[in-house]
Amino acid sequence: MENDKVVDLVKKISEERDERAFSQIFDFIAPKINAYLIKNNLNIEQAEELTQEVLSTIWIKAKLFNPEKSKFTTWAFTIARNKKIDFYRKNSKNYANEEDIRNFLYENNRFNDYEIQSSIDKIKAELDENQQKLIKMSFFEQKSHKIIADELEIPLGTVKSRIRAILNKMHKFLS
Amino acid sequence: MNSTAEKNELIFGYSSGNLSEAKSLFVSIYLYLNSLAGKKSQIFENILADNLNELDDIAPKNFKYSDCIKTSSDSKYKTNKSSNPFSNLLGDFNNINWKSVYKGFKEYNLPIDGDDTIKLIKMEPGTSVPLHSHNGKEYILVLDGSFCDEYGEYKKGDMQINNQKIKHKPTACDKNGCVCMSITENEVVFLGKFGSILNLFTFIKSFFK
Repeated sequence: MENDKVVDLVKKISEERDERAFSQIFDFIAPKINAYLIKNNLNIEQAEELTQEVLSTIWIKAKLFNPEKSKFTTWAFTIARNKKIDFYRKNSKNYANEEDIRNFLYENNRFNDYEIQSSIDKIKAELDENQQKLIKMSFFEQKSHKIIADELEIPLGTVKSRIRAILNKMHKFLS
Repeated sequence: MNSTAEKNELIFGYSSGNLSEAKSLFVSIYLYLNSLAGKKSQIFENILADNLNELDDIAPKNFKYSDCIKTSSDSKYKTNKSSNPFSNLLGDFNNINWKSVYKGFKEYNLPIDGDDTIKLIKMEPGTSVPLHSHNGKEYILVLDGSFCDEYGEYKKGDMQINNQKIKHKPTACDKNGCVCMSITENEVVFLGKFGSILNLFTFIKSFFK
């Protein structure tokens, strides 16, 4: 779904509490969030439970989404990531709620996502397919360096040095 | 030492959500105080989020969109901006229950479980930490004022990462002194005469943990 169409639907949710608009957003994003959580090693039951929480949050906090600041998928991704972090820390005595902190940073410290798009495009153009795959496995799917080494059948040290090299390469487009 | 790469690794770890609780709190404050670091994290978040579009969708089977509306009451539907979650940490440093370690040097351990030790450090103007190196990595973030060492001056929002090879002697060089947040992955090793007493102190202290 195009971002413009999505932004329009989220606006209907936040301003008119439009359930039909929400059902369309649900069909678009819920299967992606669910797949992301399953990729992150949660079992189907846990993934669905968190996906439901993420979608409830989208319904409740639709007004906090600022289309001028960010793309909808990025916003939804950050909610899913925050729920995942809090899920793993359920048993710890939180000093501060991770979700509150991250919402605060979203509202206060944010550059406009469209302003940084050129850096994003340059980084993506700079990284070849294998490098993008490594970034995805390590940071999106949260696989340990050991698991990546086993899956790609390369030595552990090579995984570490390649990831370090990619981060160095990305650095020149980050400032 | 390529400290920039290490900082980036920390920021990316934060964006992906795989840091320990202590490191996560530490980096969130870094992103709050340092806009370049915040921008990096945002770029990385976007790159990660774009992966959502490439995944094969897996539709949830056990609930529908209407369940998400039902489980959330509209009373939670607030539009107020979130209050600053750091205000109890970065607000008035005088309100913190500091523990004096030696003259001009105070610290406060944050109660966070995990392998990393996270604390606030307050140094009066001109106070130095004796020359020391590190068994593990140490991350220092300046929250207020500044400190100087052999490698330069570090101001509010600057981060220094020290590994085993680094020996340094930081001194609070701002007229108001310096408040920092630090994470140590292992105990610090003090060097020199005064250092051996502090090492002994750290050694004895380890029995009472």
